[in-house]
Amino acid sequence: MPNFNIDSQKARTYDAIVIGSGMSGGWAAKEFTEKGLKTLVLERGRDVKHNVDYPTTNKMPWEFEHRERMPREVVEANPIQSKCYNFKESAAHFFIRDQDQPYVQEKPFDWIRGYQVGGKSMLWARQTQRWSKYDFEGPARDGFAVEWPIGYDDIAPWYSYVEKFAGITGNKDGLDALPDGEFLAPHEMTCVEKYFKEKVAGTYKDRHIIIGRAAHLTDPQQIHYDQGRAKCQHRVMCERGCPFGGFFSANASTIPWAMKTGNMTLRPHSVVHSIIYDEKKQKATGVRVIDANTKEMTEFYARVIFVNAAAINSNLILLNSTSSRFPNGLGNDSGTLGRYFAFHNYRARISGEYEGFLDTTTDGRRPNGSYIPRFRNLYKQETSGPASRFLRGYAAGFSAHRRSGSDRDSLGASLKESLLHPELGNWSVGSHMMGETIPKESNYLALDPSLKDPYGLPQLKINVAYDDNDEKMVKDYLEQMTEMFTMAGFTNLRTSDSKQAPGLDIHEMGGVRMGKDPKTSMLNKWHQLHEVPNVFVTDGASMTSTSTQNPSLTYMAFTARAANHAVEEMKKKNL
Amino acid sequence: MQRRTALKNVATTLAGLAALPAWANGWNQQQLSKTHFLTPAEDTLLAEVVETIIPATDTPGAKELGVHRFVQKMLDDCYDQKAQESFKAGLAALDGFSQQIFKKPFAEGTAPQRIYILEGTELSDDPAKKAFFGMVKNLTIQGYMNSEYVMTNLTHYEMIPGRFHGCVPVEKA
Ligand SMILES: Cc1cc2nc3c(=O)[nH]c(=O)nc-3n(C[C@H](O)[C@H](O)[C@H](O)COP(=O)(O)OP(=O)(O)OC[C@H]3O[C@@H](n4cnc5c(N)ncnc54)[C@H](O)[C@@H]3O)c2cc1C
Ligand code: SF4
Repeated sequence: MPNFNIDSQKARTYDAIVIGSGMSGGWAAKEFTEKGLKTLVLERGRDVKHNVDYPTTNKMPWEFEHRERMPREVVEANPIQSKCYNFKESAAHFFIRDQDQPYVQEKPFDWIRGYQVGGKSMLWARQTQRWSKYDFEGPARDGFAVEWPIGYDDIAPWYSYVEKFAGITGNKDGLDALPDGEFLAPHEMTCVEKYFKEKVAGTYKDRHIIIGRAAHLTDPQQIHYDQGRAKCQHRVMCERGCPFGGFFSANASTIPWAMKTGNMTLRPHSVVHSIIYDEKKQKATGVRVIDANTKEMTEFYARVIFVNAAAINSNLILLNSTSSRFPNGLGNDSGTLGRYFAFHNYRARISGEYEGFLDTTTDGRRPNGSYIPRFRNLYKQETSGPASRFLRGYAAGFSAHRRSGSDRDSLGASLKESLLHPELGNWSVGSHMMGETIPKESNYLALDPSLKDPYGLPQLKINVAYDDNDEKMVKDYLEQMTEMFTMAGFTNLRTSDSKQAPGLDIHEMGGVRMGKDPKTSMLNKWHQLHEVPNVFVTDGASMTSTSTQNPSLTYMAFTARAANHAVEEMKKKNL
Repeated sequence: MQRRTALKNVATTLAGLAALPAWANGWNQQQLSKTHFLTPAEDTLLAEVVETIIPATDTPGAKELGVHRFVQKMLDDCYDQKAQESFKAGLAALDGFSQQIFKKPFAEGTAPQRIYILEGTELSDDPAKKAFFGMVKNLTIQGYMNSEYVMTNLTHYEMIPGRFHGCVPVEKA
């Protein structure tokens, strides 16, 4: 009998465990398995195999019974997920049902989730920009949060590393605010986007309009064919899963790559409950897993554990990993776990029209837009005065397309005629803000002392809100954009502030922040828990500040860097 | 893997148009109650209404393309009870209007007469009837423009454009 137990325990022992198989976990899996580590990847959702499990990918528009609109009962049963624009007939199956994981909104927070192999990499908008040194230096310069323990130079080679494998389209623009990467051929800007770029460059020396940088294979290289991926065909239905593997997802790229090594055990339906801490060995020895179907608990063991459950769940797992050594959550001597939580401010938009270039239009579809890198407070603090001084800044999306429409006023044969012969109208132009928010101690995640989810895990209490800095930034964005749009001769300007709750930006960050000082942070410069160095957190939870860039490229670079460090330390027997 | 093999894999997937597996089906209508809120008589009347909005010409009209079924499905599954009731009220008023003005039921009117009646609901003081007009017109246009017939034969929908040009002369587009 004892021997049997030892055998069973051995069968459940790996070199490395990765919690979560999404955007970041996929990278940990790839790096470990390539280097020969026997790796267990634990995923709470079901498996989604590239192409095999994309049930809507080839459906024509008329095959969706409600033409993409979700039935009322589904919307009413899922008030949170249904706020996301991708929650529609062709992609709703890649979201959770709200009831799968309830949580307590101490303040309104829309927690958008995708639980399956691939996580939210199935659903993302694929925008990928590098951080600049100004972003990493932000907290130190402006005196908020804590100093980052790493800088742009530490991470730049890892950006290159992940960009080459994932495939990123972009243009080398040579801007300080947004370093260039390893780019595949750029998408084209539209006539009015180019026009706006020139107008803005002529008026403001430090404001730039560039083509977006995105994870699409515009010009696939051998490394992409090796993954079984091919050139993006401009369908712009990526959220259904792409039959060409034209955009980067863990499903099309890192997960099958790791699988091919023969070193990965992928275990779907495995909800990680907590991390096991061994007081004698003074390290983590494994994880407790609840089988999503049977609700049975099993333990798995490894020398190294990577936490990649997406920011909020990574916090939850650490908060739920208590022991007599760590009564307040694993590695939480600093008391900062769950605190300094932040997100991106996506509230404001502006739209308008342009009456020029009426003899030109666009042709085909573009899975990308144009982009305005941050210009506010970049080199130094420039906004000032009580009414307008705010820290940091915002980036913005920008796009211009020729409008096409029909006169719908009549009924009968003339209506039919005009519907079938739409006419080109003016160009429509639009922009949305992507603001940095300041991580604060008062924005926190904590465990509810009594409420549980369907798996018996404690429910999270989420207490996150905008502050005065965010309000001023919304105002400034709308003022600056109005000025720039007016200067370019755009008319019919409409501004809006959606006042959407935090969370809908889907860029949740922090709670397990990096820092130099174990007294004020959770992770060291290699993403190891200061007090439990064989546990690494490399997803959004690790972010000390948020910058304005879409975050996933940075999570991927962080993960690849930390995984390679872990392998070296294991070789040196330090882990 | 070489380029050709990669593309071959892609082609294989494109060929196999799979039925929705159980986990995806959970999200669509099959779990929803199957009660239709219109009676067969109302359905017949609705078919005449959508046909009035988009009639057969040298190409099929909305009735032949089953757009009334789509309108009803949307109302069944996506609209709330209040909207459904407005819709029913608006539909019910058509015959009354038509009798009053043209002394015959809506379905027996000429195209201009039916249009006249429909526009009457648009101008109605009754918010339910007004709402009916907006709903039926928008849904009819949506159902027609997104029908297989129109997208395939008339507007030539491209599933896989394979290109994007940001700035081309209008004639060439
Ligand atoms: C509509 C949309 C648009 C977006 N657009 C962009 C964009 O343009 N650019 C960008 O950079 N980002 C974008 N994002 C955000 C991006 O998807 C996330 O930043 C990214 O997926 C985060 O990676 P991750 O590995 O941390 O989490 P995920 O990719 O979400 O993966 C986490 C995985 O962990 C699993 N998991 C969670 N808890 C447990 C547990 N207890 N046990 C086991 N497994 C668990 C989950 O099931 C999931 O599969 C977008 C997101 C959405 C939804
Ligand atoms: S736009 Fe490209 S990546 Fe997206 S679905 Fe289409 S072919 Fe695939």
